[in-house]
Amino acid sequence: MLAATYMKHASTRCWTKNLPLVTSVRTSRRTFILTALSTAATAAYSFVSPSISLANSLENGTYKPQHFQTTNERELQNLEAAKSNKPMFTRPEPNYPNHVPLYTFEKAMLFLGSSLGAFLHPERNEFIVALGESTAHPYFLNLLRDQMLSDPVGRQILKERPNITSTSLDLDHLSNLPPNTFGRTYVDWLHKEGVSPDTRVPVRFIDDDELAFIFQRYRQCHDFYHSITGLPIVREGEIAVKMFEFLNLKIPFAGLGAIFAPFNVKRRDERWRLFEVYYPWAWQCAIGCKPLINVYWEKIMEKDVNELRKELGVIVPPDMRQLRKVARMRRLKGLTN
Amino acid sequence: MATAATTAKTHTSDIVIIGGGPAGLTLASAIKNSPILKNLKIKLVEGGNLIEPLEKFNESPPPNFMNRVVSLTPATISYLKEIKAWNHFKEERTETYDNIYAYDGITNARIQFDSPEIATMCENFNIQSGLFQRIKELNQDNAENPLEILDKTKVIEIKSDEKNKWPILQLSTGDSIKTRLLVGCDGYNSPARKFAGIESRGWAYNRWGIVATLKYKDDAFRFPTGWQRFLTSGPLAQLPLPDNWCSLVWSTTPELADILMKLPEEKFVAMVNAGAKLSPSEMDYLYKLSAKNDETLMEEISWRLNLFNSKLKEEEYENYPLEIESIVPNSRGRFPLKLSHADTYVEERVALVGDAAHTTHPLAGQGLNMGQGDVKSLVKVLETSTERGLDIGSKFALEGYFSERYPANHVLLGIVDKIHKIYSTDFTPLVMARSLGLDAINNTPFLKDFMVSQISNK
Repeated sequence: MLAATYMKHASTRCWTKNLPLVTSVRTSRRTFILTALSTAATAAYSFVSPSISLANSLENGTYKPQHFQTTNERELQNLEAAKSNKPMFTRPEPNYPNHVPLYTFEKAMLFLGSSLGAFLHPERNEFIVALGESTAHPYFLNLLRDQMLSDPVGRQILKERPNITSTSLDLDHLSNLPPNTFGRTYVDWLHKEGVSPDTRVPVRFIDDDELAFIFQRYRQCHDFYHSITGLPIVREGEIAVKMFEFLNLKIPFAGLGAIFAPFNVKRRDERWRLFEVYYPWAWQCAIGCKPLINVYWEKIMEKDVNELRKELGVIVPPDMRQLRKVARMRRLKGLTN
Repeated sequence: MATAATTAKTHTSDIVIIGGGPAGLTLASAIKNSPILKNLKIKLVEGGNLIEPLEKFNESPPPNFMNRVVSLTPATISYLKEIKAWNHFKEERTETYDNIYAYDGITNARIQFDSPEIATMCENFNIQSGLFQRIKELNQDNAENPLEILDKTKVIEIKSDEKNKWPILQLSTGDSIKTRLLVGCDGYNSPARKFAGIESRGWAYNRWGIVATLKYKDDAFRFPTGWQRFLTSGPLAQLPLPDNWCSLVWSTTPELADILMKLPEEKFVAMVNAGAKLSPSEMDYLYKLSAKNDETLMEEISWRLNLFNSKLKEEEYENYPLEIESIVPNSRGRFPLKLSHADTYVEERVALVGDAAHTTHPLAGQGLNMGQGDVKSLVKVLETSTERGLDIGSKFALEGYFSERYPANHVLLGIVDKIHKIYSTDFTPLVMARSLGLDAINNTPFLKDFMVSQISNK
């Protein structure tokens, strides 16, 4: 085609005009040679190309022979294909329902994110939950487990693995108990604070299933610690309970909360109350009282609450709501801030 | 009335061996086996009943394995083959194993040795009986000068002859023997060593070794393996015997040894199963229950073991021994553990072999093997001295034995002692360091090969 157009223009050029017809024969012979060569090349390539593509596919490992393949070879081939499709990293199997096995760096990132979030927004539950689970290193949970195993009631809890839900506690029955029982105290506290024993978020990131149960138990018994000490669910109360829990159970998450949370407390009187009243109370009480993880709360609902407190060694701190009300009144009157 | 005058005879002999244990019998048969030494006059004196029980063992061996079992290294077995005693051993009662698996009681760091025929478990009595049969065979070939075994004969006193200072042994039969060389193979409280005035230095480990014969459950396959778990109170070792039996050696503190020995047999088996897998705090609680012989002990052990086993992944099953099913009745025994090393093995007219010279912790299974090495060296030294025409009882002739064996034994005693000390602590930095070290050695093949070659080819 190109030769033809050239030929057309060639006739207009001066020096080719006077050339004999031999030129066109020569150019047409060149065309012929070119065409012949290109055809020969194409033919040769098409002769060789299956081998080239075969060699390529053999090198890639994607060779699929169509003929003479025994069943064994076919199975092996499928295995190879499956292996190449398998991802490089697979998560380990979950050890219990709700388990999400995390790699160590994922746990580290969870810790960083949730610690910042819990400091700035402690009212949001996800941060508290994630901070608790990412700091609960097996070392501390093992210490707690050994403590539970050496106590007979703790051992019973580990054997039976009770789960506290809003239905398992039977709140109606508890609210009908006489007012000095622990069960009644607990229900009264729930009403006063306006909360319910909602099913706590299940533990997801702790790998061993016995340690996960222990952490779950700790989470579910948190409300009982509130009610036996009478502390409310405002941030100040939570911080005080965290300090108490840290000193009693030595859970690192509670310790982090107790140490760092007061930095975000802005009101001066609140901070004063924490450092001068509730932290010393927590120190005195938690050291002297029995480890509360070993208390089988469901079974002592009908016990007299003061007797229970004396048995456990729990001292009731000053009523926080009362103190806060007094402080608020003074602030409103412009006395102190 | 005729008074029967006791004719107390004084015999003379070239060598008197006190003690009919494995060390003494090996020495006796090796000397009589040697073409150079076989014409020496040799007597073996043993205080207990030796010949009858050994003959009985040879003719009708007991159906169950006895509880005193030792691990023989390839070096020991090749020497026993050299003196042609091994074919008299009842090989069907020995178990050659290829794997040793040692793991930490706190962190479960482990080291695994996998070498063909790394050791052979053999009952003490089997060893003694095999050697005794060889001695009988040698005596048949050497009728003019047989080895005399004087059993049920106690040595009352050892004196020194005034003229030539040869030891004279006063026996309980009334006879006395004057000998050129006295070899003490008589155990830790060796009278021969006391006669020679040799100090033995060391310390008691304040541990007791509990031994028993147990049977594994037949629920999975394991290659015959020697298992050892280093608990803080002491190592718990399960050594393989033929036909899925195993021998237990549990070195533990005196208080726990008392508790465990008093337990009924079923509970003892459960405690052995617990000791192989559970954590130290769980074991502490179980020891407390065992002290009271509490009825809930079996329940607690099965709960914790089921929880532990359910958490094991498939590939981790082989990291723990099979559970024990039963125990041979009345096979529990115990012996105190101590380290001791005599200042010297040789004195004028006296040589010490085996436990008389050194005692060690059973955790490495080297005590008897060190004694066998002693025998080999002493026989070589005696042969050399006899060829050179020396007086075999002189210290000059015997010193080669002391200089060859003392450093090797001392090093091994020291290493075993340090291993015991490292694993007796639960101080966290040390625990982490030793676990790291163990894992590092486990992953270094050339180090493990070196260790195996040192232990088995010595």
